[in-house]
Amino acid sequence: MGKRLTFGLGVNANEALKEIVEKSAAAEALGLDYVWVADSPVQLYGPAVASAVASATSKVRIGLGLMSALLYTPEQIARVMKSLWDAYGNRFELCIGAGDKRQLRRVGVHMSPVENLAPKILGAKERIQSILHDTGVVTRIWLGAQGPAMLRLAREFDGVLLNYSRPNMIRWAIKFAGLRKTRGPEMGVYAPAYVHFKPESEILELAKASSAVVALGTSARVLRQFEMYDKYYEIRKAADMSPTVEAILGELPNEVVEDFSVTMTATELPSYLAQLENLGVTHVVFGYPQNYSTKTVKDLAIALRLASRKMQPERAWKSRGRHKT
Amino acid sequence: MMLRIPDKKVGIGVTSPAVHNITTIARAAVTLSGITPRRFRLGLGVGGLQDLSKLGVTSERPVGMLRDAVRCLRRIWAGETLTVEGESFELQRYFARYQPRYRIPIYLGVRGPKLLRLAGRIADGVLLSGPVSYLKKAISMVRSEAAERGTRSDFRVVVWTPTLVMRRKSDRGRAKVVAATVIADTPLPVLQMAGVSDDAVHIIKRLARESDYKTASDHVTDVLLDSFTISGNPEQITEVFQSLEELGADEIVFGPPYGHPVLRSVNEVVEAWESA
Repeated sequence: MGKRLTFGLGVNANEALKEIVEKSAAAEALGLDYVWVADSPVQLYGPAVASAVASATSKVRIGLGLMSALLYTPEQIARVMKSLWDAYGNRFELCIGAGDKRQLRRVGVHMSPVENLAPKILGAKERIQSILHDTGVVTRIWLGAQGPAMLRLAREFDGVLLNYSRPNMIRWAIKFAGLRKTRGPEMGVYAPAYVHFKPESEILELAKASSAVVALGTSARVLRQFEMYDKYYEIRKAADMSPTVEAILGELPNEVVEDFSVTMTATELPSYLAQLENLGVTHVVFGYPQNYSTKTVKDLAIALRLASRKMQPERAWKSRGRHKT
Repeated sequence: MMLRIPDKKVGIGVTSPAVHNITTIARAAVTLSGITPRRFRLGLGVGGLQDLSKLGVTSERPVGMLRDAVRCLRRIWAGETLTVEGESFELQRYFARYQPRYRIPIYLGVRGPKLLRLAGRIADGVLLSGPVSYLKKAISMVRSEAAERGTRSDFRVVVWTPTLVMRRKSDRGRAKVVAATVIADTPLPVLQMAGVSDDAVHIIKRLARESDYKTASDHVTDVLLDSFTISGNPEQITEVFQSLEELGADEIVFGPPYGHPVLRSVNEVVEAWESA
């Protein structure tokens, strides 16, 4: 077995600020290691949400990102991290990357050609790191990666958060990025998720919408690599004409959930996590709609505890939370 | 900070659409308004000349940019799916998945005559700074525009001036550095409205650009110091605040550098204001 797996809850996708704060506090109380605050051009502003989460919690680590290096300057990102550090101390980690090409285009940010993109992201990381170092801020910087251009940069970062969920895609990404289990950057997975004991149709539909966002943002090369091009690529045209992904959900095959999310029963979770651990993954972030309600957050925590006992009975994942099951 | 002062109104003064994507401003404002329900105001402006220059940002159409920004923000917050292909912004079928729970007031931080008129026409309030002689004209101009659209009573005028309680001789030197900073950032139309000749400040602007504010401050005269900062003892500062109120200011922002020590300085001015 590799290093101990750590787990996070993704927040800031379609929820109101009050709910985000409540669910983050629940995640901390239930013993999750991280709350990851997303930052997308159509959602609440991640840095301010991270501040509100920090104010309502005391020990859970808070990840901020993906902060797009195309939407923000390195100086702006560094200033955000410095402000959070000054206000709440060493509780934050940063994830940067290019971001979702389609969403960025909607706000007037046009992605550079691939050959220019990688140096830009790497340059941003180095500049942020330099500013933070000069101001005494210590934080890990993760790379949010999916396509080949970003994966090639993975080794330059403290960690890489892969936007994949299927083990075969994660294996490919790790191999492509030249990552190793025993040394180098930490490997994480951050995907839409719905781990449940009894599925609710409404939440399954949200998992489909969330998976669709990832599918539509996946590069053509990756889709071809996994023979998913025909299934998802053409739908992009319809998606580009529609303001929301929900409007084209009916055109997407149901497999999108299996292809791009961690949607499964609590019973299936141990074997899934064991596969990830064997690949060298050390950090798993359960994205929207896992945070749909306090109950779904609690279900996740219980499922993780059960999974941990099953996977490693000799050193079961010990909850730091107050709630025991 | 907002979370630590639960009963005070909070405003951002000012953020610039020349520096931040308009959708970032829109969602940041909604997030902050969620943290401080009904207490948050968004200050929007082009940005200081020096700051923009350092960032390599130019704003050739400040009036158009701020007008477009205000319209755009209100439409995003109203839940419209927005396509904008203007000179200032580009949005393609943008739909925000966040909505403010109440109308977020927009205050424009502006100085020149065209921008002042724009603020009176479209904003909920204005953030002003500059010499008192300028403020008198600016308040009159902006109030007159606001009156034309029938919002005179709701429209708020906020005056933001560097304020310094002076206790020692050395404080005067610090105040001059602040004045040099403000002067360097003050555009020609504002100087003209204030009756300050360009010749009087030319060298200060040049030294601030080519050297530093400390060097430039050697050329700040007593007249310029009194024009561009509010400094003195708490009673003298209070008198200036009262004169600003008489000119039509609704709120005064006690701007930095405050004085040393800061808390004592602020408290003394508050006490002087309350007993005046």
